[in-house]
Amino acid sequence: MSGFLRVAWEVFRKDFREELRRKENIASSFFFAFLSLVLFSFSLDPSLVDLPRTGGGLLWLIVLFAGSLFMGNIFRKETENGTLQGLLLCPVDRGAIFLGKYLVNLLFLLLLEILLWLFAYLLLDIRPGGRLLDLAVVWVAVSVGYAALGTLFAALIVQVRGGQVIYPILLFPVLIPLFMAAVSLTRRVVSGHGVWDSPWLRLTVLFDILFFTASLVLFDFAVEE
Amino acid sequence: MTETSLKPLAWAERAAWTAAVPANAGALWMVFGYAPVEQVMGEAQKIFYYHVPSAVTAYCLVFLAFLFSALFLWRERAIWDVLAHASAEVGWVFLTVVLLTGPIWGRSAWGRWWVWEPRLTTALILWLMYTAYVLLRLFTRRDARSARVAAVLAVVAFFNVPLVHKAVEWWGSVVHPEKVSLEPPMRLTFLASLAAVLLLGTAFTLARVRVGLLEERRLARMEES
Repeated sequence: MSGFLRVAWEVFRKDFREELRRKENIASSFFFAFLSLVLFSFSLDPSLVDLPRTGGGLLWLIVLFAGSLFMGNIFRKETENGTLQGLLLCPVDRGAIFLGKYLVNLLFLLLLEILLWLFAYLLLDIRPGGRLLDLAVVWVAVSVGYAALGTLFAALIVQVRGGQVIYPILLFPVLIPLFMAAVSLTRRVVSGHGVWDSPWLRLTVLFDILFFTASLVLFDFAVEE
Repeated sequence: MTETSLKPLAWAERAAWTAAVPANAGALWMVFGYAPVEQVMGEAQKIFYYHVPSAVTAYCLVFLAFLFSALFLWRERAIWDVLAHASAEVGWVFLTVVLLTGPIWGRSAWGRWWVWEPRLTTALILWLMYTAYVLLRLFTRRDARSARVAAVLAVVAFFNVPLVHKAVEWWGSVVHPEKVSLEPPMRLTFLASLAAVLLLGTAFTLARVRVGLLEERRLARMEES
């Protein structure tokens, strides 16, 4: 078990360092998110739309797009440098490779959500209704599931022709229940209610458990030659 | 793929068509000649006799697609992939029928082409997931790797179905004819059209399987030469 975690940690550390060093993936995704936020601000009429109350859904849309931009590339550097096969030939449990990549994606999503909400507060006055902890719970709960499927699908499209383009097409429909939960829970938070007793939170946790497990198991099939 | 005879399959397909054509003709007669006209919604209500059976057929095929995809992942025999592909594709066709008949009914019954009510919304989300599958298969080569990718997608999509149901149910509900109790002539007509559409689905799927097997055979021969 400790070998498994150690491998996952090594994969995570390697990828984390590389992302920081190369910056292109992180920088473009973060910048894309900010750009989307500005564009969305222009697209809505503030006299008709109560942004502080309804803006939550918008932000999750941005997380969806910017997140997929980042996660879709998580295996690309492996194929570009021909290191994917090397990685897969290592006598390690492939689940550990999945976990390492997954943790990088999860970390990115959480960071993205924090920064996005910060800028949403600065630009559009979207506030977490005094319940920042509840909002953080929503971030974590949603990101856990999103990162799981995002990582699995990134592995799936690695050797598919035109994979970058088809990645969101494959991923987004499956995420719809999670997305609905994210938006509903955020609405609750912004209107000052807690999330602990919401059935949406239970759905999110169920989604997370189901798809984290499924992704861990299916990853093996996804990367098989 | 070994050159097993396609004769049993061709025979089954012929049997299915032989049953499906008169069944559908009979059902059509029952819908317009036997079933009473509904009081509130008039003749347009009769689209129900195709709308609901199409949904039932689609769900059956979606389940089969999952089953065959799982079998393919477990034992990589091409036959499972062909069956999975056929089931998913024909299932997608019936989902499209649901989405086309729903609005036609809705427009005449409630004056709007689309309402965001649970059953239609669920159908839409399912349709999105399986369109992704159909597109994936269209854009990828017919090799083991692409088949595996598609199989993983089909498994994930199926796991998602109950979650989609729950999420959509909680999201909000608008008027949709609830479980209407059908008087005997209507129930009989419904059962007849259900059987007819299921037979049609079977016939289409068997035909699609035969096409898929012929394709496999052609590819195998090309590789040999």
